[in-house]
Amino acid sequence: MSISQTIDLENFNDIDMKKIAGYRKEDGFELVVEIEKLHLGFKIKGYLKGYVDEVELFKFKRPDKLLVNNWQSWGPSKVTQKDFQLNFPRELIQKFGFSASIMPELYFDNLLSDYYVASECFFVGCLSSKVAHPYFQIDGDEVSVRLKYFGMNFDEWNETETIVILLDKPEVTLPYYADLVAKENVVNISDKRWVGWSSWYQYFVDFDYEKMCADLENARARGYDVFQIDDAWEVDIGDWTPNNKFPSLEKVAAKIKEYGYIPGIWLAPFSVSETSTLFMKHPDWLVKDGNGNPRVAYENWNKKIYALDTTVPQAVDWLTSLFEHLKDCGFEYFKIDFLFAAAIQGKRFENVTPVQAYIQGLNAIRQAVADSFVLGCGAPLLPSVGYVDGMRIGPDTAPYWDANGPDIGHPNAYYALRNVLTRWHINGIWWWNDPDCLMLRKVDTQLSDAQRELYTLVSLLLDNMIIQSDNLSYEIDDRLWTVVSEYRKYGKRKVLLSGIMSGQYNITSCGVDGCDLLSITDLEKCVFTYSKDSGDIKLEKTIEMQDDGRRFNYYNEND
Amino acid sequence: MMERRYNVLADEWVMISAFTQQRPTNPTTSCPLCVGGDEFSRPYDLASFDNRFPSMKVDAPNVESENSLYKKARSNGKCEVVVYTVDHNSAMSLMPIHQIEKLIKMWADRYLELSLQPTMKYIFIFENRGSEVGATLSHPHGQLYAFPFLPKRIEAKVQSLAKYYDEHGRCAICDVVENEVSIRERLVYENESFIALVPFYARWPYEVHVYPKRHVSSLVELNNSERNLLSKVLKVVTMKYDLLFQQSFPYMMMLFQSPVNDIRYEHAFHFHIEFNPVKRDKNKIKWMASVETGTWAFINPKLPEEAAAELRSVEVII
Repeated sequence: MSISQTIDLENFNDIDMKKIAGYRKEDGFELVVEIEKLHLGFKIKGYLKGYVDEVELFKFKRPDKLLVNNWQSWGPSKVTQKDFQLNFPRELIQKFGFSASIMPELYFDNLLSDYYVASECFFVGCLSSKVAHPYFQIDGDEVSVRLKYFGMNFDEWNETETIVILLDKPEVTLPYYADLVAKENVVNISDKRWVGWSSWYQYFVDFDYEKMCADLENARARGYDVFQIDDAWEVDIGDWTPNNKFPSLEKVAAKIKEYGYIPGIWLAPFSVSETSTLFMKHPDWLVKDGNGNPRVAYENWNKKIYALDTTVPQAVDWLTSLFEHLKDCGFEYFKIDFLFAAAIQGKRFENVTPVQAYIQGLNAIRQAVADSFVLGCGAPLLPSVGYVDGMRIGPDTAPYWDANGPDIGHPNAYYALRNVLTRWHINGIWWWNDPDCLMLRKVDTQLSDAQRELYTLVSLLLDNMIIQSDNLSYEIDDRLWTVVSEYRKYGKRKVLLSGIMSGQYNITSCGVDGCDLLSITDLEKCVFTYSKDSGDIKLEKTIEMQDDGRRFNYYNEND
Repeated sequence: MMERRYNVLADEWVMISAFTQQRPTNPTTSCPLCVGGDEFSRPYDLASFDNRFPSMKVDAPNVESENSLYKKARSNGKCEVVVYTVDHNSAMSLMPIHQIEKLIKMWADRYLELSLQPTMKYIFIFENRGSEVGATLSHPHGQLYAFPFLPKRIEAKVQSLAKYYDEHGRCAICDVVENEVSIRERLVYENESFIALVPFYARWPYEVHVYPKRHVSSLVELNNSERNLLSKVLKVVTMKYDLLFQQSFPYMMMLFQSPVNDIRYEHAFHFHIEFNPVKRDKNKIKWMASVETGTWAFINPKLPEEAAAELRSVEVII
């Protein structure tokens, strides 16, 4: 590991790239590195042979400011200075487990970034995570670029994941990188731009069929596409049958459809709680530790949660049947949560990396639900590209805004929105970003009018998914709901965000009606200005289908 | 029959479509785009609709390649007719600015809506005006092709602009704008947000390009004030064309925006509009003949600086 080269990307010269290329023999494996010119930079591709736990491809000098990124949905994506210290609360390490990192043994005492880093003038990132876990270890004045293979043996030469170096400012490199990843992973973005409702941020687990029916009734004029029940309906984590608060899933889905909505449902398919029947009946389906005992992936619901081994054929059959059944019940929108569980380190039935195991599990779900909408959450980001239609890209939001709380993935509207801004570039390219739910109620919340407005505007202007989570019998901020409806009248938007490195975010969001500007000068204090580019002309579009199947779009000026 | 065929000689796709053969050369009875014609039974302001004679369709049939030499692909794109106004006797040069602004909004909507389909790679908005460039209807209208592939010339533009960006760290058209505003001899018209010019590299005698002064990769990124100024440029250029030889001036107008579902080049691709008129004099046509068609090398008989001076001297009042 010590023989890789350190380059200076802030004072770049072509010769540095040649230092990285070539053949190396290291302890247990051989490595060949190739460099290829690319618009804005270079592609770095390796070939490995032998036993590999980890490869360090090269190092580069650490800039003063670096955008770092956590491996999964909830983890922070933020700009760090050289004096940054993680300071993860020690008492939470066990509870978080692998939620914080695929490499908890390294994470809590080091500064890591997963998949990519960006500075004011360069970007380094990996185009895929199909076998290895790509990450950056930031140590003193250097940043080490690594691929973690978790102890894999390659008898033949094996191509590594591809790294790119891009030399430009972040508003250029971040979306460019996102597109390169999409091409590498053959992404087909869903054309389902649904607006929906979710039970979670109003009721949490205190939700039942009666409340569902009441909100369905109150949702009549809202014009949602999707109505999704969240965590509350199941017997246990791993036992995905309705508890005594709900009737059969067929009846739940049918009830939602009665109101003209697409039924949506939440579950955590790779998680198995210690109290579940699944845990008791099938300990052989779980990821094991070195002693052959089921390994705890994380703690939640006041329980130890274990991880489904997605390489066990019977476990995959169970997973497939589960989702086929949910689809048969009438659900067409699946929010699948705590997905990182399938990617924890440990012993599995097949000798694959945690990343490969995760993809096998996710692929089984994708195949089972076919063209239904899949929203990932708590998910390793890069390995999920190409398998989900939507993805949560920040921690849980909350009915409070705490800029002084720990930045570790805890529920907090402030950090949730910060991630929505710093991961803006993957929206509409890897999937549709889920900024998490909008809470538009004026009661039963600590959010101020300004915080509620800013959350809504950022989500809309960045063209993210829009899901509302309110008891609809409460007083709702209808002014904001009107804004939502206006923005979602037409198709997708073209968006540019600048200012990530300074934390003074400027969003330009363009649609049919014009280009709107949102400038956030102080996110902590929720200081922003919003400028709506209304223009003089309002066109109303109506669509008519002809008998011969041709579509006519009529545009009339609305005075 | 509707499919794409790959040309191994030129690394390009050709669209084969039996539908387009049925297209009328000239309507013999009434205008199909007028109210009461074949396409519209009710009044309208502006409209776009699926072409009755398309070369691509979203639900185009699946095809299988014959072998690696003769590759085929689905023509799963879209062809729309874009009608500017209900007024049969109008034209871009005659329309009110307000109507052109509405047209720009309609273009923006078509661009955004069609780009939502992941199979679409390029949205090409254009107008053929006059029988000299193959227009079969005189009712003011344009067309739109949503391609499931990147057409060859678009690919050339993308690569060329990306290469310039790599070499100079700037957008090529931003540099052209800065230079042309400074030297002015090729400018035809200028306002706060746009220039219209006969470019240094004009291929046609009276070719005019319209460049936004600010870097945007598509017309969607223009704000309402800029859209208003763009409508003025379009009006001025087409008026100058009509007044140049005191005749309805035939042209091909083409909007070049960055590819859709691929944002890798947005920083380098600068939205622009090309007017390619075929006239080299009042009664003379500049044909796209063997050299131009066969080699893509153009011979322009008109000095761009002279063409610019002529067009600049045509007075228009908007």
